[in-house]
Amino acid sequence: MTKMFSPIHGAREGLMNLAATLGQMGIVASQISRRLFRLDFDREELLRNLYKMGVKSVPIVLLTALFTGATMVVQAAPIVQRYGATQLLGWGAGFGILREVGPILTALMISGRVGANNTAELGTMTVTEQIDALRALAIDPIAFLIVPRFVAIVLTLFLSTLYADAVALVGAAYAGQALVGVDPITFYNGLTSDFMGIADVTNGLVKSAIFGIAIGLASCTFGTKVTGGAPGVGRAVNATVVASAAGIFVVDYFVSFILT
Amino acid sequence: MIQIQHLSKTFTHPVLRNVTLRVPAGCLYGLIGPGASGKSVLLKMITALMRPDSGTLHVDGQDVLGLSDIELAAFRLKFGMLFQNNALFDSMTVADNIAFPLRRLGQVSEAEISDRVRERLSAVSLAEFGDRNPSSLSGGQKKRVGVARATITRAPIIFYDEPAAGLDPVTSQRIFDLLRKEQESAKTTVIMVSSDIDRLLTVTDRVGMMFRGSLVFDGSTAEAAKSEEPHVKQFIHGLAEGPL
Amino acid sequence: MSATPNASAETTSPLPENGGLSASIGRTVFEGLDGAREIYGVFVRTLYYLARARTDRDAVIRQMYEIGNRSVFLLTVVIGFIGMIFVLQAGLQMQRVIPDLSMLGASFMELLVRELAPTIVALMLATRVGAGIAAEIGSMVVTEQIDALRMCAADPIDYLVKPRFIACLIMTTILTLWSGGVSVASGIVTAEVIFQVTPRTFWNLSLVHASDVVTGLTKCVAYGAAIPIVSSHCGLSTFGGSEGVGSATTRAVVQSSLAVIVLNFFISSAAFIAFK
Repeated sequence: MTKMFSPIHGAREGLMNLAATLGQMGIVASQISRRLFRLDFDREELLRNLYKMGVKSVPIVLLTALFTGATMVVQAAPIVQRYGATQLLGWGAGFGILREVGPILTALMISGRVGANNTAELGTMTVTEQIDALRALAIDPIAFLIVPRFVAIVLTLFLSTLYADAVALVGAAYAGQALVGVDPITFYNGLTSDFMGIADVTNGLVKSAIFGIAIGLASCTFGTKVTGGAPGVGRAVNATVVASAAGIFVVDYFVSFILT
Repeated sequence: MIQIQHLSKTFTHPVLRNVTLRVPAGCLYGLIGPGASGKSVLLKMITALMRPDSGTLHVDGQDVLGLSDIELAAFRLKFGMLFQNNALFDSMTVADNIAFPLRRLGQVSEAEISDRVRERLSAVSLAEFGDRNPSSLSGGQKKRVGVARATITRAPIIFYDEPAAGLDPVTSQRIFDLLRKEQESAKTTVIMVSSDIDRLLTVTDRVGMMFRGSLVFDGSTAEAAKSEEPHVKQFIHGLAEGPL
Repeated sequence: MSATPNASAETTSPLPENGGLSASIGRTVFEGLDGAREIYGVFVRTLYYLARARTDRDAVIRQMYEIGNRSVFLLTVVIGFIGMIFVLQAGLQMQRVIPDLSMLGASFMELLVRELAPTIVALMLATRVGAGIAAEIGSMVVTEQIDALRMCAADPIDYLVKPRFIACLIMTTILTLWSGGVSVASGIVTAEVIFQVTPRTFWNLSLVHASDVVTGLTKCVAYGAAIPIVSSHCGLSTFGGSEGVGSATTRAVVQSSLAVIVLNFFISSAAFIAFK
């Protein structure tokens, strides 16, 4: 009988863990927002993290965006060709990139790079009691460490999505020319046609900001709640990456639903 | 016989500086020196686990650096090695750990493998531990399993990197005595790295001392004990003052 | 190929860590080329051992279990939501352009088989499995177990990489099939609830050609091969102690994901050109 209850028990435990984690993230979120509204955070730390996270991600984001844009064209081409509307290739590839693929893939790559690294750093600091040391020096660790990193993650994701979208569209345009024979001008026209609007761009950017918030919250929460030494840090990094990945897609659905 | 000529290696800083050294066959050679002086790196160079920037290495006349990958595999079977941190395979039991090099050697029946594993386990006083997992052992117990694994193939050349680290004085002495006894009876060539100078010097034939990547002394045990070379004198007698 | 010089716990980072944006890009290019050569080396050796040496079936099955166990839950959640997202967005766009949703299901199935299922599964596996492999092998490097393997004339590629390679190849395909099913289910529900498209209309395989199936399967195989090779390489080239393991894990996730994205482009383009 006990064996039959195991999956149910496992699911219940899983849900309890999920609830606990979300609760912790909520607490961290409120701690961060209180200090944000008071503008109580370390500006130097913010700039340092922004540089570290943003600059180090550029090559990855560029590569991802380039190949993703080109792939979108390859996927959209048969569909627009079927409807005899090759001039709408810009639309076909474009709306996918701006609304979904651009923000999602950029967020996935950045969560893997920046989110994981941030958790590892915060986790190591927690385990080696550096956070406690800050408190002993009467420095608020949240204002000094957490808020700058959180803001840096959100900004990094937002700005990265901005130029990732642009690079993806450029990659798509040239792939369109090379593979489908649609020249970049027609591609551009397809992008600016009546079927697309500024809403598609802003939709994607709003999403990227929300993804940034999700990744930042997950990363900072798991990083500061590490227990159990070096293996615990490893577990926290794992948890961040998984939570970010799942969070991105769950959030994406609800944001898409709400924003239409 | 191990012949090392002008071996050098630099990572971000020099780790080996122009080391020239000869370990005669059948010799129990003690390698001493303060931490990070390049002792472990030297051992790994001889077995080609690391490659030097310059210099030559010959083991029993074979040019180690010129060996291909396939030849290297056969070459390494001539060695038994005890790593500084034991390096036990955590996915296997103690018995499987010890048996592993013997299995890789091939041509040994399963029955003989179990016999030899049992013999090794009792030689290091761990007779009942065959089915345990390395993660459940104490540091000293892991070290002893490492010794068993290093010696099971009865290889002609054995390296022990800190064979008694973390062991109590009684067990340390037993291990040193065991290793010396086995070396004498099998006439193996042994290089032993240890910071337990007093015990080490009771079993070595020759001694070499390394300091910051350079070999500052190479001679017999008797010469080392009497040496006036400042690094050697300070290290061997455990003096607080001196060039170290 | 000579013994990898990096495979010891004592080595340090090969390139200096400073410079601005252009240095960052330049460094990435050089490291990328070096890395690509080493990854190719790992790949070729794995194939060699596949052909020549005996395979430990237990090891493969253990790895398959690990992979499945680690990834199934995340995959199911993610691919379920992707089904919903795709149907939502595609439906909205179709309503704008051609206000006829009868082919919504057909387009969905076509893209699912050819692109979405294999690629999303691979991206999630790159995260879970890639990190797992790099962490396991990386901690073995740091505790000198890889050196100990070499001293026993056991090639880590034969002993560690090969079982993970086989297991990942098989599991990627199995998990893609599973995910396809989950995604179809969530797509059907979304289409019904939001756009009132009946399941019967949605389940439309008319646009799924043999070429799409071939493309999808090729992607499964390519991704299933790339992820373990890339992340094993990251694990084997760990340096710098236990912090190095963390960095190797992150590198594995990023590099495996990038490999999937790049392979995706090449396979999709090849299929597009070939099956025109």
